[in-house]
Amino acid sequence: MKRSTRSLVLGLLIGMLIGVVGLVGTAQTKTTITFWHTYSAAENKELVEVLIPEFEAANPGIEVKPVQFPYDEFHRKLITSMAGGVAPDLARMDIIWVPEFADMGALAPLDQNFADFQAYAKNTFAGPLSTCYWNGFYYGLPLDTNTRVLYWNKEMFNAAGIQGPPSTWAEFKADAEALTKDTNGDGEIDQWGFAMGGTYPWATLPWLWSGGGMITDPKVSEASGYLDSPKSIAALQFIVDLYKAGAIAPTVFGGGIGTYDGLAQNKYAMLLSGPWIFPIMKGMYPDLELHPALLPAGPGGSISVVGGEDVVIFQQSDHKEAAWKFVQFMLSEEVQLAMAKVGQVPVLKSVIGTEYMKTHQYYPIYLEQLQTAKARTSHPAWQEIRAALIDAVESAMRGGKTPKQALTEAAKKIDQLLK
Amino acid sequence: MLKKLRNLGSEVSKKKGVYLFLVPGFLFFATFAVYPLLFSLRMSFLDWKVIQKSAFVGLQNYIRAFHDPIVGIAFRNTILYGIITVPGQMVLGLGAALLLNRRLRGRVVFRAIYYLPVVTSWVVVALIFKYIFNDQAGVINYLLKDVFHIIPHYIGWLIEPWTALFVVMALGIWKGIGWSMVIFLAGLQSIPHELYEAAGIDGASSLQQFRKITVPLLRSTLVFLLIMLGIGSFNVFISIYVITHGGPFNQTQVVLSWMYTQSFDYLHFGYGAALSWILFAVIFIASFLQYKYLHHKIQY
Amino acid sequence: MQQRKGIANGITVVLLLLGALIMLAPFLYMVSTAFKSHTYVLELPPQFIPREPTASNFVKVWKSENFRQYFLNSLLVTAGTTVLAVAISSMMAFAFARFEFPGKSFFFWTLMTALMIPGMLLIIPQFILAKQLHLLNSLWGLIPFYTSGNLAFNTFLLKGYFEGLPKELEDSAHIDGASLFTIYVRIFIPLAKAPLAVVTIFTSLMAWDEFVLALTFLNDPSKWTLPIAIALFQGEHMTEWGLVFAASTIAVVPVIGVFIAFQRYFIQGISTTGVK
Repeated sequence: MKRSTRSLVLGLLIGMLIGVVGLVGTAQTKTTITFWHTYSAAENKELVEVLIPEFEAANPGIEVKPVQFPYDEFHRKLITSMAGGVAPDLARMDIIWVPEFADMGALAPLDQNFADFQAYAKNTFAGPLSTCYWNGFYYGLPLDTNTRVLYWNKEMFNAAGIQGPPSTWAEFKADAEALTKDTNGDGEIDQWGFAMGGTYPWATLPWLWSGGGMITDPKVSEASGYLDSPKSIAALQFIVDLYKAGAIAPTVFGGGIGTYDGLAQNKYAMLLSGPWIFPIMKGMYPDLELHPALLPAGPGGSISVVGGEDVVIFQQSDHKEAAWKFVQFMLSEEVQLAMAKVGQVPVLKSVIGTEYMKTHQYYPIYLEQLQTAKARTSHPAWQEIRAALIDAVESAMRGGKTPKQALTEAAKKIDQLLK
Repeated sequence: MLKKLRNLGSEVSKKKGVYLFLVPGFLFFATFAVYPLLFSLRMSFLDWKVIQKSAFVGLQNYIRAFHDPIVGIAFRNTILYGIITVPGQMVLGLGAALLLNRRLRGRVVFRAIYYLPVVTSWVVVALIFKYIFNDQAGVINYLLKDVFHIIPHYIGWLIEPWTALFVVMALGIWKGIGWSMVIFLAGLQSIPHELYEAAGIDGASSLQQFRKITVPLLRSTLVFLLIMLGIGSFNVFISIYVITHGGPFNQTQVVLSWMYTQSFDYLHFGYGAALSWILFAVIFIASFLQYKYLHHKIQY
Repeated sequence: MQQRKGIANGITVVLLLLGALIMLAPFLYMVSTAFKSHTYVLELPPQFIPREPTASNFVKVWKSENFRQYFLNSLLVTAGTTVLAVAISSMMAFAFARFEFPGKSFFFWTLMTALMIPGMLLIIPQFILAKQLHLLNSLWGLIPFYTSGNLAFNTFLLKGYFEGLPKELEDSAHIDGASLFTIYVRIFIPLAKAPLAVVTIFTSLMAWDEFVLALTFLNDPSKWTLPIAIALFQGEHMTEWGLVFAASTIAVVPVIGVFIAFQRYFIQGISTTGVK
């Protein structure tokens, strides 16, 4: 009994010794970098099974440890990890979070740390790149982008005798109102011209900007004079009028069936969506044909909103050089094209001209819309700005305030946040 | 106190070793609960920054809470949630327990079904409730308007603040009935059967038996449930977060959802900590009062 | 008389069935969705019986990367938490119930206030503490946090039971020269099987379901627990609800099994604790 215990202890000690030696041994030859992201299952598969092995083969000294997190929890996970001083080396994060993390001191200014930053930056689209900029420095590079275009229900349009999708605000308004109906005569509207998923900026900003309005001045120093400018007010008035005419489906306030379902079931004639509508509809309604179009042009043009993700390197990382090598890899043409094939719109100008992109089922229209699309306000207090914008839109639509009152109040609130 | 000591003053109960039984528990409690609690108390006096140095701001976070109109709404909603869901769970839980305390075929299956919501994830059931209460295609409106013709038009349950709160409360009651039922069943089983038999011989009706025997003997169970469910109701969070996210116009915020938004969305961690300490104080006082005024009346 | 009883039973059954339907409906919605393929958006109006039922979601979930590992991890954390929490709280309950000592009331009520702490409040402080104690990114590291979260309620329940036992128990044992620990292990624990079953069930349920701390503490996917796996099936732009619900169904099955198996024991157990 005693002897066996002793040999067990001895065995354990030897085992641990080997383990320690092994660890030290690998530590000298290999650098491990952690990469946190929220890619979807298909994108993650490409990353883990194809791209990272490729990178590791080309960079023998570096090992990449990718971790996929649920999007809804990712912000909290990152914040908490940083509070504990255990941030990852690099992460792919929502473009709208970058200024917040940069302001916190969490991110490495890439343009300061790496001499060849500009070489990479100038290959990417300007809109997505602008989301990496905060207070004088660039803290990341765009990794993928997206925007929203208009989808119109051809069947419903044909039934109403309307030829094609609207290309101007006037046409959009006329079509939306003409397609709003009580089809079964029970006194309640059961078919709507336009469906919005909510009143958040992602849904409303395309209208503000296409109407020629703005949230702040280009330097993001104040909202008064911009958010409450006559053009901004007119843009909100446009939405409010549509809503009061009954042409916007109740989904905007959390009622009704989902926007995609409504489009497929001929209840909603138009909606805006990102490219993910294609895989979703293919799964849910395999026989449905989708018809995208550019956003109808208002007084300010046809201007949509930029979404997507940036890749950032954390200040707490001890392996910034190795992390930068991985960033360079992720921004190579091969990787951007490989990710495009699993659903990510690339950010490299050089990839746009490739045959794959040109002949793709739906990327071309998104790339065209992206030419003029704008990014949401790059500011650490974006979440609070967002709340103020939602309040303004809702109180004008159903809170009894005029668009002018609502936007003037919101502008004052945002001024405070920008200070 | 002295008399008590003397009553229990056997040899064993004076043994010093008794502290050894408390050491592990209190070590855990002090390390993993009290320490983080004190940390958050400190946070509530700071403009707490995630990485950078945090500045001491005194009582500013607390003062801010008293000027924040949404805090008022959040407390109103939280208290209302408690006032409605606690009795709701208790009444329905007691009803289920009374029915399932009878000798009945399939009793075990019924008990399991009623307990099922307790063990199902909050996130999943909140999501399902959202769909059930959808105005255009949800089952509830379909039943109310198209089947039973109780309402003339579909109700936009999730569109207006009050109806949305109603949905959240319905979820809270639905999910808690099973837990109350189990506790009541336990309480009912500890009532000696002879009492009912004697009352039956004396000719007391079922209702009389319920009022004169069941309710008085369930009193401590009732107090226990009142306090536990009360504490639970102050902690309502996930259902609000999933179903309304506090909107529209922050009209459906509860204390924890507002604290969460302030902390993890706006990064005002100091303010969030102050809000949770105010909530903690309210829960403490409410539970203390319930205990003090209800517990001491229990003497049979 | 007999007839009246028959009617009463009839009403009881009708009421119970109606209640069961209400309690079960959302759950059926979940299970039936789990048997549909490609559900990115929940169907409205819902189809309770899928047109083309398929077990593909269950297969996909079960075969997905690490899922079985997540299941084992959850079992490990649940078992570890339950053993530790039940051991520690039964010891405390024994001390609080059977002995008088200075500060008893103060200690007990301090412990009870832990029931009132809003959990969300502590994420960041607990994370920083876990880092200082080198408990991050380890399944074992979750156990002390889960345990401390269960201590108050468990102690309260068990204390009620131990208080109800006759005082002569430890006196006679003491005359035989048994130590306190022997009395606790040999006499009190065997008597408390039913209430121990109760705290075991409550504790393991909590540990099985916990999500926020687990996701915050663990960085290594091979260490994740079931609730994280379920959340991972939700995407940024689209979620295949069939997968989420299939995973949730798999997660709830063991729990239902435990409830049905121990249901009688469970309710008897509660009736002997501090609740009544």
